[in-house]
This record gives sequence, structure tokens and C-alpha cells, in this order.
Amino acid sequence: MTENKANENWEPKIIAFVCNWCTYAGADLAGISRLQYPPNVRLVRLPCSGRVNPFYVVKALQEGADGVLVSGCHPGECHYITGNLSARRKFSMLKNFLSYVGIEPDRTLFTWVSASEGEKFAHVVKGVTEKVKALGPAKKLVKKFE
Amino acid sequence: MENIEKQLREEAKKLLAEKKVDVIVGYEEGTLPYQAAPCFIEDPESAERLVWNKYCSVNLAKYVHDLIFQHKESQKRTKPEERTKKIVGVVARGCTTRSIVLHLQEKQYDRDQVVVIGVPCTGYISKKKLAAAVDGKEVIECSVAGDALSVTTVDGTKDIPLKEVTAANCLTCRFNNPVISDMMIGDPAPAMDVDNEYKEVDEFESLSEEERWTYFTKEMGKCIRCYACRNTCPSCYCKVCFVEQSQPKWVGAGIDETDTQVFQFMRMFHMAGRCVDCGSCLEVCPMGVDLRTFLKKLDKDAYNLFDEYRVGESLDTLPPLSAHSTEDKEEFIFEP
Ligand code: SF4
Ligand code: SF4
Repeated sequence: MTENKANENWEPKIIAFVCNWCTYAGADLAGISRLQYPPNVRLVRLPCSGRVNPFYVVKALQEGADGVLVSGCHPGECHYITGNLSARRKFSMLKNFLSYVGIEPDRTLFTWVSASEGEKFAHVVKGVTEKVKALGPAKKLVKKFE
Repeated sequence: MENIEKQLREEAKKLLAEKKVDVIVGYEEGTLPYQAAPCFIEDPESAERLVWNKYCSVNLAKYVHDLIFQHKESQKRTKPEERTKKIVGVVARGCTTRSIVLHLQEKQYDRDQVVVIGVPCTGYISKKKLAAAVDGKEVIECSVAGDALSVTTVDGTKDIPLKEVTAANCLTCRFNNPVISDMMIGDPAPAMDVDNEYKEVDEFESLSEEERWTYFTKEMGKCIRCYACRNTCPSCYCKVCFVEQSQPKWVGAGIDETDTQVFQFMRMFHMAGRCVDCGSCLEVCPMGVDLRTFLKKLDKDAYNLFDEYRVGESLDTLPPLSAHSTEDKEEFIFEP
């Protein structure tokens, strides 16, 4: 496995867990509208942000993601009514706990993007990429595969 | 204490004789002078074995859950109409009752399946602190006299103030008296130093990110993954824990340090809004891993983020991650 070296050509790997109904559709819209955004984000589509097990976030970090983004419908607009409200509770605690043990808060970001917000999706991805780039490659919790 | 013990035995005897319970989970004298072991009493005569003292450390709610579940499993092949309920009596101090409340909220068993014999608690003696106080020497005799613990080792007898050897979680415990009970034994215990409950967490939060990470990795580096902490935890009752799952395999079984960190991080995160701070994990850990500094943070966050929630405080407020609200704080959301 390649060493995590922060040279100027380094590009962060970001995993995004997005919900099927809002953010994934938002990403689709961004694509259809031909909006430009950094190609660092790999989307994983899930039924709902409430389906995102906190383990996915931690596991992504362990397996070499430099940043993780979780995004769902805006509160009150969840396809399953309350999925994102449960998600919000889980992730407010998860984010606090991750930074408590010493992991950079900007590595894990949570947001809401609705199906009509193609522009916002592009904007969020840009923002996340910039934040993670500023931190450099992830070193904590990262498993080394020899 | 002796008085409480006497009453406790009488009550236990009565419950068993009247067949109000099938078994009573309590503490009995351990094999070492400063230990009490969990025990299961099934006939009235054996109620004499019960003790209640400063050495009763582990949270007995774990066994209540285990017993009821084993019984349920054993009845799988019994016709539904012939199935029986197992009624478990338990000697419970504050944290034990809070765990029972959590079990009830999480629908693990019914309220009529447990008979809570409430006892007041003034904190138990931490084996780790005691060992440190006598430089790891073997304790030959040990007894409580007033505010001090008189300990005999090969070096002679010395008096140690109780405060110095009482478990950290007990010193700042808010619920040292049972929150629910079917009968109470003895008078309520005086309040503990609740104002300093989050002192360690506040201190840890004020450290730099690197210092926190160094401490986390140092502590988790000691862990040998014996899973004793999980096995003793009353909130860890999953039939198959994630560490043993193979599809998907959440954590590797090797000696990779990140696997241990991920195991610990996730096990602790499963305690979000569910840890009653009974200190059992710390008591059983053979390596002295400091889990409490981290677990207490989850407690503090649940309190601050979700309407001053305290685990197991009442049957009516659900654990925060079992509920939701449109009013939750959102500061952590990126570009809302
Ligand atoms: S660590 Fe988590 S999965 Fe394992 S027993 Fe505890 S609560 Fe269940
Ligand atoms: S009891 Fe201690 S050594 Fe064992 S798994 Fe838990 S923290 Fe690790």
C-alpha cells in the first residue's frame, strides 16, 4: 500500500454516505446541470441517513478514507419521516466523541442536501474537499495493510 | 451494614419461601478478604449467604438479563401456552436499578419479571485503587472501621481513608439510592459529591487534540481484547456482539492496534446514552484500561445535548438514541 505522503499532488479520498431520496438525487441534479465539483468524493447510496451506522464512518476512517461526509434530507423532509432525526442524534454524539478521542473534527462532516439542491451539493463537496485537504492525509486510526 | 445484611437475608428468605421469585441475585462472600462475588440463591436456607458490604462491586443487572434470557431460550421448544416466566429478585443499589430501568425501556423483560430489593449505597472499594494503595502487596485481611479501611499485608496493618480507595464513579455518583424498587432495605444513603461529576471530562476536554489522541492510543494500547468489560456490562446484552460478527467483519481479530482502537471506540459508542457509570468494566479489566474518561464523556454529551438526559433516571424518558426530536441542536451540521 502506498505511504500517506502529503505532497502537492496529494488528493484526499472522501467517502460520502448519502440518502437515496434527497442527497443522492441532489448529486444527480448537480450532474445533470453540469456543475463542476471536485472528484474526490465517492458516494455510497443508502436508503436513509438514519441507515448510516456510525460504524460506517469509523470503519471508513480505519480503512483509509481521509474524510467522511454523511448527508440526508433536511429535518422534516425525511422520506421515512424521522430517519434523519435519529441520524442527527447519533451523529451529534459521534462527532463529539471522535473529536474527544483526538480525531480532527473536520474529517467527519454531516449535512443536509435536498433533491432540488444541486448547487448546494456541489458547494458542499467543494467545502468538504477543501477542509480535508487542509488537514492533510489521515494518520489516526488508519490501518496499514502490508 | 450488619443491620442491612440481616434485613436483606430476611427479605430474601421470605420472597423465596413465598415463591414470589425463582431466584435471587445477590452478593456472597468472595474467596479473598476484600471481595464479594455474585451469587444466585434458589432456596430460602441459602439466603444466609447474602452479604452487602463495601466490596460488592459488579453491577448485578447483567445477571438479571442473562437469567431471564437463558430461561427464554430454554423455552423455545415449549408450547406457547406452557411457557413460564422466570421471576428474578435482585439486590440492587442505585446503578443496578438504573440498568434495570434501561433494560425495561429497551423491552428486554417485563417489570413483573424482576423484584428489586433496593439497598442504599455509599460506594464500593475499587480493587485497583486498593492494590495501588498497598503497592500491589497481597491483602491478608481487610475491614472497614468508620471512615477508614484497615488493611493487613505482609508489611503490617495500615489504615487507609475510605475516600482514597472508593471507586471514582462512586465518589461522584448521583444515584446511590435506588431509582426504582419493590422494597427498600435500610435508610437512604447520604448524597455523594455530585458537583464534580464531570470534572475528569472537563479536564480531558481542555487538553490539546494531540494530547487526547496520545492518551487514547496509550490506554487502548494496553487492551488485550479479553472482552471482560463487555461481558460484565449490563448494557452489553446483544446476542451476537459486533466483535464476533463475521458478516460483515467489523473488527479484525489480529494484533493490529487500530483494530483494538476501533473495537474500543465502537463498544464505548454503543454506550451513548446508555452507560450508567457503574464502573464494572473498570473493575474487571485485567489491564487497567481507563475506559471511564471516555464513557463519561458520552454521559455528559447526552446530558447537554438531549434535555438533561440521565441514563435510567426514570422509566418515562427514553434513552436519547431510541428517540428523536425536531428540536435537537444542530451546530455540528456543516453548511446547514
Ligand atoms: S459492544 Fe455493542 S454489539 Fe457488543 S454487546 Fe455491547 S452493545 Fe452489543
Ligand atoms: S476488560 Fe480491559 S483488556 Fe479486556 S477487553 Fe476490556 S478494556 Fe480490553
